[in-house]
Amino acid sequence: MAALGRASSLLSLLALLLVPAAGAGGARWRGEGTSPHLRSIFLGRCAEYSSLLSPELRDKNCTAIWEAFKVVLDKDPCSVFPSDYELFISLSRHSIPRDKSLFWENNHLLVTSYAENARRFMPLCDVLYGRIGDFLSWCRQENASGLDYRSCPTSEDCENNPVDSYWKMASMQYSRDSTGVIHVMLNGSEPKGAYPVKGFFADFEIPYLQKDKITRIEIWVMHEIGRPKVESCGEGSVKILEERLEKMGFQYRCINDHLPVKLLMCVDHSTHPDCALNSAVTSTRREAPPLCAEHGASLFIPFLVVLASVIQP
Amino acid sequence: MADHRFRPVSGEKPCCDISKKARICLCVVFGLLVVVIIAVVVGIVMWRQPPQHQEWKGAGTTAHFYEIILGRCYTYTQIVRPELGHKDCQKIGKAFTNAFLSKDPCGSTEQDYQPLMELTNQTVPCDKTLLWSKTNELVHEYAWVQRELFTLENTLLGYMGDGLRWCGDLGSSEMNYQSCPDRRKDCSNNSVSVFWNTVSKRFAEDACGVVHVLLNGSVHNTFDERSTFARVEVFNLHPEKVHTLQAWVMQDIRNISSDSCSDASIKNLKLILSKRNITFTCEDNYRPIRFLQCVKYPEHSSCRSKI
Repeated sequence: MAALGRASSLLSLLALLLVPAAGAGGARWRGEGTSPHLRSIFLGRCAEYSSLLSPELRDKNCTAIWEAFKVVLDKDPCSVFPSDYELFISLSRHSIPRDKSLFWENNHLLVTSYAENARRFMPLCDVLYGRIGDFLSWCRQENASGLDYRSCPTSEDCENNPVDSYWKMASMQYSRDSTGVIHVMLNGSEPKGAYPVKGFFADFEIPYLQKDKITRIEIWVMHEIGRPKVESCGEGSVKILEERLEKMGFQYRCINDHLPVKLLMCVDHSTHPDCALNSAVTSTRREAPPLCAEHGASLFIPFLVVLASVIQP
Repeated sequence: MADHRFRPVSGEKPCCDISKKARICLCVVFGLLVVVIIAVVVGIVMWRQPPQHQEWKGAGTTAHFYEIILGRCYTYTQIVRPELGHKDCQKIGKAFTNAFLSKDPCGSTEQDYQPLMELTNQTVPCDKTLLWSKTNELVHEYAWVQRELFTLENTLLGYMGDGLRWCGDLGSSEMNYQSCPDRRKDCSNNSVSVFWNTVSKRFAEDACGVVHVLLNGSVHNTFDERSTFARVEVFNLHPEKVHTLQAWVMQDIRNISSDSCSDASIKNLKLILSKRNITFTCEDNYRPIRFLQCVKYPEHSSCRSKI
């Protein structure tokens, strides 16, 4: 597969020399090219996840999972749909421990640090089908068989590209398999807004949450140390998310700068005034009033205000 | 009474019309045939069975060992540290397994790992080496956040071997998945221990500038002379390159007792280093790593009272 890919990419390189280059440096697409040694990385990660991290997954057949995945490597890079990964997902899916799901937007590294290799939480990248594809890229060449190692399409090039379709399918499955308390970590310092109204979480995760299996949703809006607080709970896009969840009938809670995660961020900024622990302790909370006691909310909210003023110095 | 033979009574019918002698002969031949057939079958079964590995007291080679190290090599050289993208992972994988396959798993030597060492040479920047002893989880959580620091497990070889077990057998070219020598109960010169001694030695030899070490102030032997840190790493730091070893001694956040830098074993470490002309400094409950501990126990008083 790799040798064929190299031969084909050599040919396509020659073709590019004869034909005027499309974009900067002649790359056809905007995204990173296929990861070299894709198959080895894939099989290695699958084997490692199955045997080291989760002994109960020992029955996973990594070769079969690869065979199911690689069908997309023969398809036109702009005609790969989430459904093309159905067999791959069905072979690699496994249960997610209750209350351990962690969704996120715009804070990949922080999430992986906090999740502690699936010990504390299990975000998508700590699930088998998430671990396998994490940080990888893949696509067939546009007009030839063989992998394109120079570039691969992003959503700006075309919607139905191999990598985006993979993550859409993975996200949907992850949502479907999440139970108990659902956690969401958002970046309140992201200039474009903490909750992207069009994004993986909004379009491919929220709609697939199983209401009957979920107790409540906890939103953490984290602000980067030393960066502006663009949005907090109840503001801007976060408010849009809260309203959406409420409309869908979910119990939710929003916390600014959830303390354990804040402490993790402080590891890197231990001398910053934001990491003076007195101020790191306080957090403001917004809660959806219990659905069954709407008239009780008239007492509940003033109570919260009193409580909040007692906690804050 | 006359001695005469008894003839079968007319009511009985003789079987197969054969004499008794012939019948006995047939039974013996038949019995021999059965024995021969059984022997042949057993022989075939035994011949087809893989040669039995030796039995040891430790856990066997990790399942899918080869795929795991190959996958890790590629992940490391293509994604984690792409500046090492030129490394040949196929060659590295082969050199790794050649170091222990078909060899006595209790007779492993540094030389066995030399070809592998040569293929995986890597420079760690000065002041960025982070050693550790009895702080496995904490040190790697810290290195994940502080990405410019390197523990041994953040180098290519350390990354590849981390958490795995492996051994072979003199009589076979296969990995022994059933058992591998336990360091204490079987032998100390086993394939895995020799690997870690070899790579730790090189890791220490290559260090320069200020070297850090994360120690556990909550165990009774904070600086343990039997640890790899003591036996291998301390003794292979080069005084011409490494001028200071700084220790961060972390105590369990739920049980902070007295100042651990004045612990007797730490004084011992200081003595050893001063004899080697390396300055030793020590910090108790280093603040950034204290934050890391607080992540687990955010409500703890020592996480609140600090300013």
